[in-house]
Amino acid sequence: MTPIDRVGGDLPRGRVTVELDDIQATVLRYRPEPYYGTHVMLHVDDARAGREFLRRLTPHVASAADWWQAGEPWIAVAITYSGLVALGVPEGSLQSFPEAFRVGMAARADGLLDHGVNDPKHWEPEFESGLIHIGVSVFSDSEEAWRRTMASARRHYEGRPGLTVLTAQDFGAQPGDLNPLGYKDSIGQPAIEGSGSTPLPGQGPAIKAGEFVLGYPGEAGVPLPAPRPDVLGRNGTFVGLRKYQSRVGAFNRFLQAHARTEQERELLAAKLVGRWRSGAPLTLAPTQDDPALGADPWRNNDFTYAADPHGHRVPLGAHMRRMNPRDTKLALLTDVNIHRIIRRSTTYGAPYDPNAISKQDDEVARGLYFIFISAKAMETMEFLQQEWINNGNFMSLGEERDPNVGLQEDGATFTIPQEPVRRRIHGIESFNVLRGGEYLFIPSIRGLHWLGNLAT
Amino acid sequence: MDKQAQLQTGPEQDPAVEQKIQRLRELFADAPEVGKTALENVLQRLTSDASKTPPPVESAGRVGSRLGKVSELTIIVPFAPGGAERLRAFLRLFGGNLAGADEVGTVHDMRFVFLDNDTRMLFATAYDGDWDAYIDDFATKIPDFLDIIDSAWEGWPGIRSPEAKDYLAKYQVTAEGWYVANDLTVAETRRLERIGQAVEEFLDKVGD
Repeated sequence: MTPIDRVGGDLPRGRVTVELDDIQATVLRYRPEPYYGTHVMLHVDDARAGREFLRRLTPHVASAADWWQAGEPWIAVAITYSGLVALGVPEGSLQSFPEAFRVGMAARADGLLDHGVNDPKHWEPEFESGLIHIGVSVFSDSEEAWRRTMASARRHYEGRPGLTVLTAQDFGAQPGDLNPLGYKDSIGQPAIEGSGSTPLPGQGPAIKAGEFVLGYPGEAGVPLPAPRPDVLGRNGTFVGLRKYQSRVGAFNRFLQAHARTEQERELLAAKLVGRWRSGAPLTLAPTQDDPALGADPWRNNDFTYAADPHGHRVPLGAHMRRMNPRDTKLALLTDVNIHRIIRRSTTYGAPYDPNAISKQDDEVARGLYFIFISAKAMETMEFLQQEWINNGNFMSLGEERDPNVGLQEDGATFTIPQEPVRRRIHGIESFNVLRGGEYLFIPSIRGLHWLGNLAT
Repeated sequence: MDKQAQLQTGPEQDPAVEQKIQRLRELFADAPEVGKTALENVLQRLTSDASKTPPPVESAGRVGSRLGKVSELTIIVPFAPGGAERLRAFLRLFGGNLAGADEVGTVHDMRFVFLDNDTRMLFATAYDGDWDAYIDDFATKIPDFLDIIDSAWEGWPGIRSPEAKDYLAKYQVTAEGWYVANDLTVAETRRLERIGQAVEEFLDKVGD
């Protein structure tokens, strides 16, 4: 067997209290390494054709049973609100979905602070409100298995009257599995209680399953509101998709303008994220990269901020620290556990090019699908966008924003705490620009059967 | 925009302001003399003030207004039987001071006013950011304190209940006017305080 996922073997086993064989694999299975895949977006013109497609595809959709034994490619299916409408889901059920899901991501631009260059009016045409109905994703750790699995998925939608393919975007296959800005990513994931694995070192205490899968108690002790009927809601969850174009030229220009040597540039790049390109965290490797540490899933996430309260190693505003503050003393009363997300982000397009510095390089097609899964994905994303990404108040950083996915305004700054005085860099730009996004529901396996067999 | 258009939307000709002033005069025609005179005395200034575009009061999310970073929340809610007595005893435990709320970090102030012979209560606060950003955090971090206070209210479902937000929204009344002098969050104020102290210390040392 080849190494099967990012821990290079079976995950540490734990108690199973969720119905793994009903939950889709993509909710729990870690992105493989290396990874290959495709996101296909479909539009349902005819409800019967859409349901027929779902009936045929569902037997091939992987469940999360034995999810820790990755290695097999898997197919995931998710459906937007307009997709549920197009499939003929009854009104009572439709109305049981949360409002932010029903109106779609573009309509929530105010809550998500998707303004300026991130405004939906600049999005790619397929992300026009209501167009995407069904998303089908294939993930694999080998090119051969990816192509084979794609071919079997394609058989069910291609050329089917009543179904239109809006886009098919290949992803992954990047040298070294680096993201478009040249970093190893998707390292820190929340540990989920009752999912069958025990937390990895540094993953923190397991978070209640109900935060990530509908039908189980969340951190507040009660299940989150779930769509009806129960067969559709239970073991389902929500996923948010945000397609970013990475402005690699702007990113490289920033590094060159604010660091003199290659070594200084790499340190600055690490300060922005909190990790070196290899994934080695600054908490454990404060002065230089340590690729062996970065590659080791048993060590690369095994730290707290107890010895770094002021951010001398990992700046308070670094991407990794904002997205998971761990034990950082925040300025606002916050329960970090209820704002965590499962991330399945995928890189597409040209690989990172350290020599790309022109404005044209900003528009070379490359970027990532930021994919986040949570039983309240809409609410969590608005919280993250408002509080942790496009704001600095929770870290006492004023109006500073996330250096990676923040929407930077003119004259924006990034502060690097250090002795004797902090360094404040002026003129940080938006390095990742939003080109589209949508909310989808990931039904359970039983939910998919129910949808495919709706009679109308 | 050409010159002509600019002139038309200039302060003097703003038809929307003219209309609002006209409406005000109509309403004040029936006002007591003292109000009517006062309006006439400052009419010119009001017209010019209203023509300058002030930063707009925005929505604080679901209910309430926000100006810059600071939002207002006013709740007027009936007491549950015995609720007023319980809440009063609880507030008196701290001499009416809720310093424990310091850790919340978004709350500028809170007031608890008992109305109508202890049958209703007004709760008013100024806080940072949007209406429900941190309500879920309260539900997992300080649920008991909230439920001690809010169970004084008629029909309070409990902060952990999915209905808690709807309950609050039902009794919240959006302010018609909202003024904020310091466009600073509580966290920023605390940070400025720390910086101020550090500067004074530094100057003390330099001055020695």
